[in-house]
Amino acid sequence: MSLKIGIDVGGTFTDFIVAWDTKAPGIFKVLSTPHDPSIAVVEGLKEIADAHGLMLEDLAGRIDTIVHGTTVTTNATLTRTGAHMGLITTKGVRDALEMRRGIREEQYNNRYTNVPPLAPRYLRVGVSGRLDRNGRELEPLSLDEVRAAVELFKREKVQALAICFMNAFANPAHEKAAAELVRRELPDAYLTVSTDLLPSIRFYERVSTTALNSYVGPKLTHYLSQLTGRLKGIGFKGLLLIMQSNGGVITPEIAREKASLTLLSGPAGGPGAGLAYAAVHGLDRAITTDMGGTSFEASLAAGGPLMVNDGEIDRLRIALPMLGIHTIGAGGGSIGWLDEGGLLRMGPASAGADPGPACYGKGGQKPCSTDANLVLGYLDPDYFAGGKMKLDIEASRRAIREHVAKPMGLSLEEAAAGMYRVICNNMAQGVREVTIKRGHDPREFPLIAAGGAGPIHSCLICDELEMPFQIVPRTSSILCAFGMLLSDLKHDFVRTFVARLEGLDWGKLKGLIESMVAEGNRLLDAEHIPANRRKATVKFDCRYLKQYHEVSFEVPKAALEKGDTKAVAKAFHAEHNRLYGYSLEELKTPVEIINVRVESTGVVEKPSLRPEPYDGPSSAHAQKGKRSVYVPESKKFETVPVFDGHKMKHGNRVKGPALIEQITTAIFVSAGWDCVVDSVGSFALYRKGREDLVKGFLGRTAPKAPAKPKAKPAAKAKPKAKAKPAARSAAKKAAPAAKRRTSKPTKAVIKASQRRPASQRVVARQPSRRKATPKKSR
Amino acid sequence: MTKIDPILLSVYARTFRSITDEMSISVQKTTRSPILCEAKDFVTGLYDADGNMLEQTENLPILAFSLAPVCKYIRNFFGDDLHEGDVIFHNDVFSMGNQNNDVAVYKPVFFEGKLVAWTAVKGHQADIGGNVQGGYNPRATEVWQEALRIPPVKVVEKGKLRKDVWDLIFANIRLEIVNHDMRAQMGACTVGERRMIELLKKYGVKNYESHKTALFEATRKMMEAEIATIPNGVYEGEGMVYFDGHHDGSKFTIRVTITVKDKSIRFDYSKTDPQTNGFVNGTFTSSASATILTLLQMVNPDIPHNEGMVQPIEIIIPEGTILNAAYPKATTFGNHLCPPNADSIIRALAPVMPDRVTAGWNNLLSSLNTGVDPEKNEKYVDICFMGMKGGSGAMKGTDGYDHIGMIDASGGVLDQDYEMFEQQTPHRLIRHEYWTDSAGAGEWRGGIGIETEFVLGADDMQFVTFGDGDFEPAFGLFGGGEGTLNSIILQYPDGRTVTPKNKDLIMGVPKGTLYVQKAGGGGGYGDPKKRNRAALKREVRDGIISAQAARVLYGLEE
Repeated sequence: MSLKIGIDVGGTFTDFIVAWDTKAPGIFKVLSTPHDPSIAVVEGLKEIADAHGLMLEDLAGRIDTIVHGTTVTTNATLTRTGAHMGLITTKGVRDALEMRRGIREEQYNNRYTNVPPLAPRYLRVGVSGRLDRNGRELEPLSLDEVRAAVELFKREKVQALAICFMNAFANPAHEKAAAELVRRELPDAYLTVSTDLLPSIRFYERVSTTALNSYVGPKLTHYLSQLTGRLKGIGFKGLLLIMQSNGGVITPEIAREKASLTLLSGPAGGPGAGLAYAAVHGLDRAITTDMGGTSFEASLAAGGPLMVNDGEIDRLRIALPMLGIHTIGAGGGSIGWLDEGGLLRMGPASAGADPGPACYGKGGQKPCSTDANLVLGYLDPDYFAGGKMKLDIEASRRAIREHVAKPMGLSLEEAAAGMYRVICNNMAQGVREVTIKRGHDPREFPLIAAGGAGPIHSCLICDELEMPFQIVPRTSSILCAFGMLLSDLKHDFVRTFVARLEGLDWGKLKGLIESMVAEGNRLLDAEHIPANRRKATVKFDCRYLKQYHEVSFEVPKAALEKGDTKAVAKAFHAEHNRLYGYSLEELKTPVEIINVRVESTGVVEKPSLRPEPYDGPSSAHAQKGKRSVYVPESKKFETVPVFDGHKMKHGNRVKGPALIEQITTAIFVSAGWDCVVDSVGSFALYRKGREDLVKGFLGRTAPKAPAKPKAKPAAKAKPKAKAKPAARSAAKKAAPAAKRRTSKPTKAVIKASQRRPASQRVVARQPSRRKATPKKSR
Repeated sequence: MTKIDPILLSVYARTFRSITDEMSISVQKTTRSPILCEAKDFVTGLYDADGNMLEQTENLPILAFSLAPVCKYIRNFFGDDLHEGDVIFHNDVFSMGNQNNDVAVYKPVFFEGKLVAWTAVKGHQADIGGNVQGGYNPRATEVWQEALRIPPVKVVEKGKLRKDVWDLIFANIRLEIVNHDMRAQMGACTVGERRMIELLKKYGVKNYESHKTALFEATRKMMEAEIATIPNGVYEGEGMVYFDGHHDGSKFTIRVTITVKDKSIRFDYSKTDPQTNGFVNGTFTSSASATILTLLQMVNPDIPHNEGMVQPIEIIIPEGTILNAAYPKATTFGNHLCPPNADSIIRALAPVMPDRVTAGWNNLLSSLNTGVDPEKNEKYVDICFMGMKGGSGAMKGTDGYDHIGMIDASGGVLDQDYEMFEQQTPHRLIRHEYWTDSAGAGEWRGGIGIETEFVLGADDMQFVTFGDGDFEPAFGLFGGGEGTLNSIILQYPDGRTVTPKNKDLIMGVPKGTLYVQKAGGGGGYGDPKKRNRAALKREVRDGIISAQAARVLYGLEE
């Protein structure tokens, strides 16, 4: 019996998914322990053991694999609490790290300031020693100056160091020599050498990525040793894997050295998981949103999750491949406050897990989003986390009254409703960043609403953006943890190899590729991946002679084997034309290779979604009571039915307004929405009258729609579309999908292999990704 | 008129923006001249059938606000003779162009047989003919000595390249890469065209037309609301231009009279000095761009950039002044009259908008060098972007931005990446660092300037300098100190030192020469004695401010 556990440590909660190969996965959630996140990991495992009637040690001994996502490095960067670090670089260029090539992202905003550098100027030391553009030594490295720098770092007690020299991509000798001295003199400092991490041309990208790696390295190392120590202590002998920003996983040993690969570790499981649930509805695209305690993440997937090669974190350049996920500070713990103009704002400050919202009764005095949800009736004070944690509604009322209602001259309920509205609007803006701002119409995508509090807000978010359809998976509260179990081992390699395609030395090139593949294989060996589960994808970054930037494209296998230069050129011309509107094929302009990339994948077994038998439309058996909640459409409190989500099955339907409660998630089906449970148990929420979106799950004969009881649902979408041209395209796209579903009503099992990360390079080269930083108004 | 859908309205606005952004990425990733792909000295834009601005990505704003007027000009010029698949080039400064080197590509977008929009890319070309490679000819007095004039011309007609026209143009341009870079600009226009057609397929022309109008309307109201916050009145200011390239000690004054009346604002330059006999002259569109971009620094930065934004702004620049030279004067320096123009506007408005203006920005002093890379035996052209970018002026509550460069770029022009610089030129970088004590002192200090040194790796090189800021530093405001002066020095291997004038042409520069450039800091704002002590101590520790300056200027006691 195989047992895999996905663990996602968030700012507020630590989420667990327990996947057996014989039964449905289990979901667990414990409060995070930010001072040492590994404590919560063990506490959660204890809870899982209890639930299965096992001793902790028995459970730990049975686990084959733990896949783990962590926000340790992300938080260290965002809050600037990483290592006290120094930089050794070439004399004369120590300020490049801080200058960021002299960009001001907001050209017309004179209040926009530069980001503080990761290493302060007095700890950035330039040393003599110089290589030319071809890697030839012009001046030997001054080890005396390196030693002097080391003395400074000793005095200043730096915890981490980065080494990055000019033109080292062409010859790592100076970096290696300096690194050797540093390792000898400062054995305890965390060291990153630029050519070990990113041996490719472009000084700023390399120095920035290298510094980031060192900045977050010590925190991650410390955390991983705590974690592995604790896991070992309870008898875990299986494989521990760490989630990376690129959507793949790696072992802790690699993560320690290349800590910057985990900068998006936490949310990286989301997009893949979102696609898996959308596939149940015959869709290959999704907007996945995840509202945690501290932050809200939005990502878009069309075909495969969106990847970027030129990512940034907090305006700091990171030139490693990563998923395009947009994060804003909006979560259950987001604090409500009034700005200078007396306007209500929510977040980005968060009460986190400790003290948490006022209602947690842990000393928090400030009104949070969760407090508002409690006052508005969306949360049951006696059923939070299935009743394990009592919420103090009086404390919520006090906090909201004092900090929001009184100063604004509003009633308690009006103030709470205002908080709810504002945070929903913030999240809708976050969705805009990944859709409208990139030219995608959100109405053409299903919204996957994840996170414990996400589905309380998702109807209003969808209303803002006129999105007609949302899916709340059973694993909603731990979606990223689930996504982690769907992730393969993935290692990216890049080497600069400058050569013209014409007269290419295939022997040398193949040798390089083989050595990169071998490097990948060494890692996969260590990860115990058998040969038949390995994949190596080769990509070239090519350009027309004298261009500055490259187009990255996958090299066809056959072309590689035969050494077929023409086929490589053809693939390049085609990609260049597709991306940039022209190619220079007919001009016979020479093409040159700049970088060779190898993506080495180890395919792992993944849990599958299990179909449930159709259970009919009635939800009567699941209704557990009624409660008064705030309904945004009428701006009034109304008494609505409350359903036990755990009792709802495939085909069961609920009309909004209503509440559906599960232990870890509450869903508010607002007045404009209805809901049906799909074949894998997800709650599919659709705008009233849009039964066409969920036709496959309404039973053999589609029941009459409540709003307009005539004609077939598919035909109904059309007149509606005519009346409102805006909705036309959404309806048009939805219609064929609906047709597909009629012929094959429920697609039972989704294999994770359906997540094709195909368009990764393409998307990485698309514009506006880097412009996506929200503008601050003055 | 179709009913306006507020969600769709923002979808349109954001999609327009994402189209021009995508075009911008396309240009950046495909061009070869470092001026375009590294420093981003280009603009991409989207216009409606009549040439009204829908959106622009303004990497270098000084080029940006001449695209729409030229688009309108081209529309009228060709009238009915516009067809699907046409591509039009333009650079002519006497038909609304801003600078000879800034060559634009326009592509009409047709949908269902009807002209519905234009995509356009304007970029600074590595060469455009004329007397001097690279285009900056400080000795020029007439336009023909500066450049090949390109009034609107179809290089592609109905999808077919006009080889005769193409060859005529490129026979008059020195560098092969310009040919390729113009193709890259055409490619970006195609990228924009594809996206625009996708959008129209989705929503239809009627819907697009009505939402476009609504967008202009909404934007105009935003701009009017911003102007309404400036007190009504008439305000005057001056900015100085030093040296016309011919007469040592010559200087000229830009004078602006700003009239704010409720929701409208008028900039009148009638009192400005007459045009010069050199190339230190503006064109109407480069000068008007300067005015607009300076105003944009003082209003809500979130206002979309479309026709509605410019509607409430009136600009009067009489022909024959230094900001709007008459035919056939030389004008290549015109873009760089933006800093003194901005100075005049800031000085005029500072008394009534003390919380929204900045102190003076570092003025531009730049150099362009050309030669043959001996190792590759290939010609190269480099504008030293990394060396020319000083600090911005401080404003109330915020320090100036370090190493941002001239106000006409506002942080949109990037340094060359050092390793790419060494790949593309034969030079070797020695130093590119913050310049200690360059920032104007103040409660909020100016942005820091930069020191740049590199060893030149080719023989018989040609250096052109163009700029200012070596006579008058960036000014401080309300008790803030001024920034430092710009300078460029060439130290020859034989020990000679050559200091070029701020508009100069130096020939025969030998291999092994050390190039030393300083770009000054920005002006400070408010009394330096009130500067936050913790920030000050940090800057002393980091060597941004010397201990002595901290004591003398800021009154820091140890």
